[in-house]
Amino acid sequence: MNSPFTQTLSALIRHRGVTGCMVVGESDGIIVDSSLQIGVNGSAVAALTASLYRKAQRASTAAGFGMTGFFELVAEGGRVCAAGRNEMVLVIVAGAKVNVGIIRMEMLKALESFP
Amino acid sequence: MRLTVAASWVESPLKAFVDDGRVRLAILLHSSGQVLGQFGFARSVDVMTACALAAATAASSAELGRLIDGRPFNAMHYVGVTQQIFLAPVPIEGGKLVLLAVFDEDSSLGLVQLFFQEFCATVKAIAPAASAGEPALDADFERELNRNLAVMFGRA
Amino acid sequence: MVTDDIRALSEALAADPSSTVFLQLGEALRRQGQVELAYRVATRGLERHSQRFEVHDLVARIAVDRGDFARARTEWETVLLLAPGHSGAQKGLGFLCFQQGELAAASRYLGAALEASPGDQSLSAALDTVRAAIADEQRAPWERPTAALPATVGALESPARPFAAQPADARTLFAEVLGDAPQAALLIDADGYVMAGDYVTADGHDLGADLGAQLSGVSDEASRAMRHLGLGKWKQIVFESEAASVAMAPCGEGVLLVAAPRTVPLGFVRRLLERSLDRARRWLESGT
Repeated sequence: MNSPFTQTLSALIRHRGVTGCMVVGESDGIIVDSSLQIGVNGSAVAALTASLYRKAQRASTAAGFGMTGFFELVAEGGRVCAAGRNEMVLVIVAGAKVNVGIIRMEMLKALESFP
Repeated sequence: MRLTVAASWVESPLKAFVDDGRVRLAILLHSSGQVLGQFGFARSVDVMTACALAAATAASSAELGRLIDGRPFNAMHYVGVTQQIFLAPVPIEGGKLVLLAVFDEDSSLGLVQLFFQEFCATVKAIAPAASAGEPALDADFERELNRNLAVMFGRA
Repeated sequence: MVTDDIRALSEALAADPSSTVFLQLGEALRRQGQVELAYRVATRGLERHSQRFEVHDLVARIAVDRGDFARARTEWETVLLLAPGHSGAQKGLGFLCFQQGELAAASRYLGAALEASPGDQSLSAALDTVRAAIADEQRAPWERPTAALPATVGALESPARPFAAQPADARTLFAEVLGDAPQAALLIDADGYVMAGDYVTADGHDLGADLGAQLSGVSDEASRAMRHLGLGKWKQIVFESEAASVAMAPCGEGVLLVAAPRTVPLGFVRRLLERSLDRARRWLESGT
């Protein structure tokens, strides 16, 4: 069954190096819709990334920087990107060598179509 | 906040769940309502009350599930204004225990569910089979309950 | 306030939930950085003591620490209803109005507070800041003193800042890397204290301690996520907010943080982070 995010997620997962993408509730960390390659633990990524994004959001606001837009965590074995709008967070899991510049632009563009 | 346990095997998984899940309160109990470990409570009377209510709620929910769906409902999640409750059975060999967790905006349902799965896996591996808690005998139940509370609050 | 005192206050409150000891407990927790816990304590106290202006004042201060300025404003307005002329509320509202660009109102509140307490140097400093902001309204956003607000709040609260000043060489550790551009680097230890670097706003306030305390929590969250995501250790976090781009990376036992205006390209912010990391590691290893 298609959700309002299916098309967005289908486009994002096609990018080289992207292993999973999902729309997650910002406050509950639960997956709303996802497109994942086999082996990606979607619920763990969703819960932990939404929590990280929320934490960055709160810290940024408290530090006087305002609301957070794009967020990226780079790790030894890959990276996680997130961007939020309307209480939802678009999350991408990718390999270490992905072109994050393109991913960032696509994510910010995709957010504009969020209901 | 101190974590206290009535059985030593409870400490490690409960601590991991509390730390990783960032929950404010947690209790692991027998389905009969006897407490096995707690985090975040200051008074034994609160633990006693929470255990009684959690056991009753878990039992009611299981029965309601059987009635409606032919099998017990699994985890339950209640959302309050600032706090949320997560109540779920923890399967172990020979039966089940019950975990009650209270969390707020420092955590989320997704995180609690995630770390609850890990908690269940660990508990299943280390819990003695007898912990499933054969229904406590009426005569012993209150004494057992009081003993557990006394151990946890340092009055044993 | 040490943990033992907090424990004693917690026990006193547990023994008598209707007492006003929660005021001391909430303030102690807030000063220790346990803002969410402080907020819970204060709002529960508010349920029982809603007619006491001190409680609303405490909730307002904590709300500012949480970044919930709307709540802080409501609470301080309530303080003024319950205790007209309350200096702390006027200062707080002055700060909030300033933060929201209501410079005339900010000036009015702070002026009224200064009339009541003419010897309060923190007030005259805050009022000077507001007046300077009115004069500087046409300057670029990054140069505006908006970012100085947390420091203003700090100044309003007490003359003693929670973090001691660092030695001069530690504060200027990243000067060579950063140059004269309006960007900042901070080395934060595992407890959230600034070890080196500073974050000085256009009006001369060093917000390093505030920034470090707020953002070091993000690295704790990242470490937890890494334990469960199977991606190895985290190497870098970058995020863009309305006013700044922030990049951070583990360094020693703590974290290194770089902040730059949004006008600075993200790739350059990463480069700054890498260069600052090199500098910090050299300093940590050899002290030079």
